[in-house]
Amino acid sequence: MKLLDSFRSALQSIVVNKLRSSLTMLGVIIGVAAVIAMVAVGNGASAQVQSTVLALGSNLVTVTPGAQTDAGLRGAGAQAQSLTLDDMKAIQDQLGPTIKAVEAEQTAGRWQIVAGTTNWNTNVVGVTEDYPTVRDWGLQSGDFFTESDLRLNAQVAILGSVTAENLFGDADPIGRTIQLRQAFGAGNARARIVNFRVVGLLEAKGSTFGFSRDDQILVPTTTAQRVLTGRTSVVNSIIVKAASSDEMANTTEDVRTVLLARHKITDPVSADFTVTNQNDTLAALGSITATFTILLAAIGGISLLVGGIGIMNIMLVSVNERTREIGIRKAVGARRRDILSQFLIEAIGLTGLGGILGILLGWGITEVVKRIPQAAGLLVIITPGTVIVAVGVSVAIGVIFGLYPAMRAARLHPIQALRYE
Amino acid sequence: MTDAVLRLRGITKTYRMGKDNIVQALRGTDLDVHPGEFVALMGPSGSGKSTMMNILGCLDVPDSGSYVLAGQNVGTLNDDQLAAIRNRHIGFVFQTFNLLPRLSALENVELPLIYGGDRHDRRDRAKRALQDVGLGERIAHKPTELSGGQQQRVAIARALLNDPSLILADEPTGNLDSRSSAEILAIFQRLNDAGKTVVMVTHEPDVAEHCKRIVRMRDGLVSGDEMVAEPRRAEAELRSAGSAASVDLHATAAAAR
Repeated sequence: MKLLDSFRSALQSIVVNKLRSSLTMLGVIIGVAAVIAMVAVGNGASAQVQSTVLALGSNLVTVTPGAQTDAGLRGAGAQAQSLTLDDMKAIQDQLGPTIKAVEAEQTAGRWQIVAGTTNWNTNVVGVTEDYPTVRDWGLQSGDFFTESDLRLNAQVAILGSVTAENLFGDADPIGRTIQLRQAFGAGNARARIVNFRVVGLLEAKGSTFGFSRDDQILVPTTTAQRVLTGRTSVVNSIIVKAASSDEMANTTEDVRTVLLARHKITDPVSADFTVTNQNDTLAALGSITATFTILLAAIGGISLLVGGIGIMNIMLVSVNERTREIGIRKAVGARRRDILSQFLIEAIGLTGLGGILGILLGWGITEVVKRIPQAAGLLVIITPGTVIVAVGVSVAIGVIFGLYPAMRAARLHPIQALRYE
Repeated sequence: MTDAVLRLRGITKTYRMGKDNIVQALRGTDLDVHPGEFVALMGPSGSGKSTMMNILGCLDVPDSGSYVLAGQNVGTLNDDQLAAIRNRHIGFVFQTFNLLPRLSALENVELPLIYGGDRHDRRDRAKRALQDVGLGERIAHKPTELSGGQQQRVAIARALLNDPSLILADEPTGNLDSRSSAEILAIFQRLNDAGKTVVMVTHEPDVAEHCKRIVRMRDGLVSGDEMVAEPRRAEAELRSAGSAASVDLHATAAAAR
């Protein structure tokens, strides 16, 4: 029997039993749609996590103070004071040609900011001059501070877009003076007051993990150390931008070697700093989102399984109903494999068609999800891979659940089949 | 007598119906049918003629004995090989017509060619076969849109399509009125005149008298085997009854030639 004949016969039988076929297909349609929609949400979530991490700058190797291992007693990372600006400079000097840029950051805590009659409370962070390169973050207006500003502990500030808007509204903040105030002493009896000149305005970047990154003030690290915190030379983190994603592992090793040598530590296990690589972070987060996606796909898969059982059920009914037809076909010379392929193709036709409709439904669901206001910002991504897998799986379900009924049909004895009423 | 279309020797067949009820349908039956014969197989119910029919049609295999069809011993073949034999050598005509209700007359007739290898001209051959049985105008009709006699003619067209060595008819007129029965018998006679071998199971003596030879069965054995001196001619009977179907029959005769 030619394949074309089998297809025609299968299509005919699907069309003749329209209601039954469509109800049976509904199981597969819902299953495939569930898989497509769920995986799309999962993919969207992992893409979102990835873009969030990369929004902090790409190809980053971060050095933080504190122990790498938790063997024995170690100080908490935040309290350790093992990293200095000189460490950063050493990295720059020794790895200069192999890396893109490096910068060191020192947080200066929350300050009350006063500009004329308005005030605002926000974080102040000390950074070095290569911050824009390392973080892939340019300025809307003005200029970033320079190496000489760092050398001079210059009291210059770069404003985040939200901070600027809160302090100055739509007015241009460049060249204006802001006052940083912080209360200290018993009962906040006294206040430290420092004046800064605004020299630049950062591009708006949106939020990371729910925190706005546009509400902050950047000052030179040296100024943060000597003027704002009084912790000279110590930094919270050194951030190295590797030349490329492929170079990150090498750069991580190089940074560790440089710092171990500088800190005169021979055993890497007892290092007083930790080097983390953005790829590792991405991989860790990726494995979490992958698990999440698999979980969602499994939920969809269960409905697909139920759909498959529906197919099997209806194919068994169909074989039973058409026993006589099978007998006639056998009498005129149909072999077992002819009958087998006829019913198998019919089952595959049901699931394949259901699969295609399911993809359309799943796509429709993701389009609806995108438009729900509460889900604003939720990414849903349907990849060609998902679609191919969904079609493949639905065809496979046709084969798996159609095989047993088709085999029953093929094994029927021609006489018994012909006599069947 | 080596040129027999079919030769049965010592065929036995036993059925087990339920636990202790063993039915010996055939008890060592012998039968030869030669090319160009038109045989009526008669016998009361329980005589084994249905079992005989199934074995002749390669729908079932005997427990013992040998069955040679068109020079091939079919007793040793497996299911798929039997299917191929049925496809190439046997044309079935059933009492209940056994057409596929969802297919048109043309598609029903095509069926053996679908399973009989790659034939690109099968549509034309099926059309011609339908014209041969006088249904050239009704190729697109579904079986439910045809009368019993017309359905049986579709079934005959289907049986003829692969040019079989043997046409097996199981009570082909059992569900038909006398006019339609005569028409069907006339078609068989024309086919036989053109050289086709026909074996027909019937319990109606009237019908059997149209055949050239009558084989009677009783208790699983052949109990009588006689030649009919002068078979009745269905066409003549139709003509004398003033039938309009004679046009069809001429067409059949022409095609069979």
